[in-house]
Amino acid sequence: MKSSIEKLAEKGFLFSALLSASITILILSFMVFFSFPLFKGGDIAAFFTLEWNPYEGRFGIIPMMVGTGIIASLALLIATPFGIGCSAFISVFSTGNFGKLLRKVVEFMTGIPTVIYGFVAIFLLVPFVREIFEKGTGMCVLSASIMLALLILPTIVLFISDAFNSVPKNYLDAADSLGATPVQKLIYVIIPSAWKGIISGLVLAAGRAVGDTLISLMIAGNALQIPRGLEAAARTLTAHIALIIASDYESPEFKSIFVCGLILFFFTTLIVLVLRLLGHFEVLRQR
Amino acid sequence: MKFVICLAGIFVFMIVGNPFAVAGDLDRFEGVKGTLRIAGGTAHIPIMKEAAKRIMAANPDIKITIAGGGSGVGIKQVGEGLIDIGNSGRKATDDEVKRYGLKMFKFAIDGIAVVVNPENPVVKMKKSELIDIFSGKINNWKALGFKDRGINVYTRDASSGTRKVFWKKVLNKGDITKSANFVKSHGAMKSAINVDPYGIGYISVGYLDDTVASVSLDGTSPTLENVLKGDYKIARGLYINTKGEPAGLARLFIDYIMSKEGQKIVEDKGYIAVRK
Amino acid sequence: MNRFVEYQIKLFCWISGIVLISAIGIILAFLFHKGISSLNFSLIFGETRPLDGLLLRNEVFDGLFPAIVGTLLLIFTSIFWAIPIGVASGIYLAEYCNIKWKPLFNLMLDVLAGIPSILVGLFGFAVSVFLHKHLSEHIYPCFLISSLALACLVLPYIIRTTEQSLVNLPFFVKTTGLALGASRLQNILFILIPYNLSRIISGIILAIGRCAEDTAVIMLTGVVAMAGIPNSLLSQYEALPFYIFYISSDYNSQEELMNGFGACIILLSICVFLLTLSHILKRKAAIRFATHT
Repeated sequence: MKSSIEKLAEKGFLFSALLSASITILILSFMVFFSFPLFKGGDIAAFFTLEWNPYEGRFGIIPMMVGTGIIASLALLIATPFGIGCSAFISVFSTGNFGKLLRKVVEFMTGIPTVIYGFVAIFLLVPFVREIFEKGTGMCVLSASIMLALLILPTIVLFISDAFNSVPKNYLDAADSLGATPVQKLIYVIIPSAWKGIISGLVLAAGRAVGDTLISLMIAGNALQIPRGLEAAARTLTAHIALIIASDYESPEFKSIFVCGLILFFFTTLIVLVLRLLGHFEVLRQR
Repeated sequence: MKFVICLAGIFVFMIVGNPFAVAGDLDRFEGVKGTLRIAGGTAHIPIMKEAAKRIMAANPDIKITIAGGGSGVGIKQVGEGLIDIGNSGRKATDDEVKRYGLKMFKFAIDGIAVVVNPENPVVKMKKSELIDIFSGKINNWKALGFKDRGINVYTRDASSGTRKVFWKKVLNKGDITKSANFVKSHGAMKSAINVDPYGIGYISVGYLDDTVASVSLDGTSPTLENVLKGDYKIARGLYINTKGEPAGLARLFIDYIMSKEGQKIVEDKGYIAVRK
Repeated sequence: MNRFVEYQIKLFCWISGIVLISAIGIILAFLFHKGISSLNFSLIFGETRPLDGLLLRNEVFDGLFPAIVGTLLLIFTSIFWAIPIGVASGIYLAEYCNIKWKPLFNLMLDVLAGIPSILVGLFGFAVSVFLHKHLSEHIYPCFLISSLALACLVLPYIIRTTEQSLVNLPFFVKTTGLALGASRLQNILFILIPYNLSRIISGIILAIGRCAEDTAVIMLTGVVAMAGIPNSLLSQYEALPFYIFYISSDYNSQEELMNGFGACIILLSICVFLLTLSHILKRKAAIRFATHT
């Protein structure tokens, strides 16, 4: 009797685990299922062109791919120095309460809903950016990148400061006994031995930046062009999905969002694999 | 004697007839239960919301949900059977009608106005200028007598009926510049223009208020009177679509919109009623 | 190293810290400055009397009440799906899974954890379209689909915290029960899980926070601008984050915009409350851990 319950429970646990793992496969298969007709028909090449104009039957999603790439990399470019600076502050220079405060603020940031960043940006950052450039609407690559940088900063800071903290203490002691200043410790000891952690944090943040929908949907302008400047409007793959979702189910437009979905899916997988190469087997972090 | 009958007739009319005609439009929902799903054109939302509010207040057993999405959504989703009532700011094409077996009910007339920020003094334009602005040929306000700043063109996405009508009747099916910003609804268009001094876009006349300035086209300003008289040509009907002949709650809802009270809502929200 | 360079590096770190804090400070100050005046009963209940609204006697039309209730219901339902499956999977991965299969499970879960939420939403939408066509005419994007999609989104969080809290237990805790003759299942259910319950709960609370703030998933799976309080799993609904998104572009008057700021403050309060709760529980778990080892 007892053992049958044990067995039943074990089956139940196994079943749950299989179910959870199969969700990933299921998502992939739905993306493939809905975009499959395109692959079969050989129309797929038509999607990797430069122009999106449904009225004329052009469904190129390259502008969206480029938009995603530019906005995400710019966000990463902005966030990286600040992220490393903050982490160094928290883990290395934090002698006073300010470091603790900063850590608290960063943890607090993980709790701020994305939609609120977008909402505030529309009324605070966008008019500001418009006046700086004196052209364009302010709904542009730069605005989106700045907000996105703010959004991914907690991921970067928490990850990197953990990496800094896990530098073996005897390394630091050795540096101390040689009379190294905190800055010298940071540059010559901590960063070299924590570089894997730093890269992992950045890769993870890149994943978040590419995957985020709301910021770019709300403040990037959603224009169908390859942006030619910081003040130009652009559309990301994620925003494209959100904008096109309501169209005719039989139309190539609708199917194209599953191609976007597939691209995002493979990108995520790539990120996970890179993280594994770097020795991080636990990708999950609280936002 | 005749006089008495006449008086009695008037009396009866006053007691029975009159209240029926005015307050009775909501009575049709008495004892009805169910859910009605509405989606589609965003110009319709204020009318639908008000009607839904009144119906649900009168009869709590009825639940009405309203979503936007644009005219394309209104036609496609009702065709696919995902919603009960689909709104569109354009006629469904013959192909769509045939494919889905759609029934269209025109319940209001609406104009489409070109709008700019209230700070912008350029409130008169020629159609040809508009075509050049939207195609990107004119891209600086200086050419029109405003500051030396770029023109920010706002447009709606492909599922918008307003865009289709505007594109046909104003732009003569010309191009819209690729750098145009996309917004998802009339409300969004209005708020975008409201905060952007250098923006230009187009919205339903029903949405016009003092947060944006409307542009007169070739000398005719987009007012309800001009639309009604036929002077302002960029007008279109607002339609309710159903898959096949509407039944049950959908039927009652359409009847209500077409009733006196329903058409009053249409007028209150700034559109032209089809039944007076 | 040059003194000057050293000074500069230190200065840069200070600056980045200050910039970060002031950015968040400005955002919050702006939000509260704009939104605080709109925080009152009519923001939540519109023209309906608060008590009538709360007791569901009257429908609330112009207030946030349906959106708040929608968000809360959504959280509870999603978590209701996710907890049993998540905890069970976590137990399996920590205690039962053989070493050969574990990397595959881990890979799947990591990908799931990293998938953009809009993809999960797209998945939910595609499933509902598929079911509508092939199973029943009555399935649309709706509350049920949204809650299931959100459950998929937060599953990895729950699985990981459960797994970690079991794996990291001290050896004596893991073995005492077994030594006293408890079966494997009894050991897990009555000793290991209760021992680290607060850590598992803190993971669950984080998952709740994700459900509360997520907009992309629900946007594609059945949230609408006006629906009232959902009366069945198959109806559409309103939710706070979507309301904020909708207002951000669709506001029709200054008043509506102010309501948007009010909604931001309410949503932020909910999320920060959950985050704090999770931190407190985590700390409690950590203290307990420390005293036992």
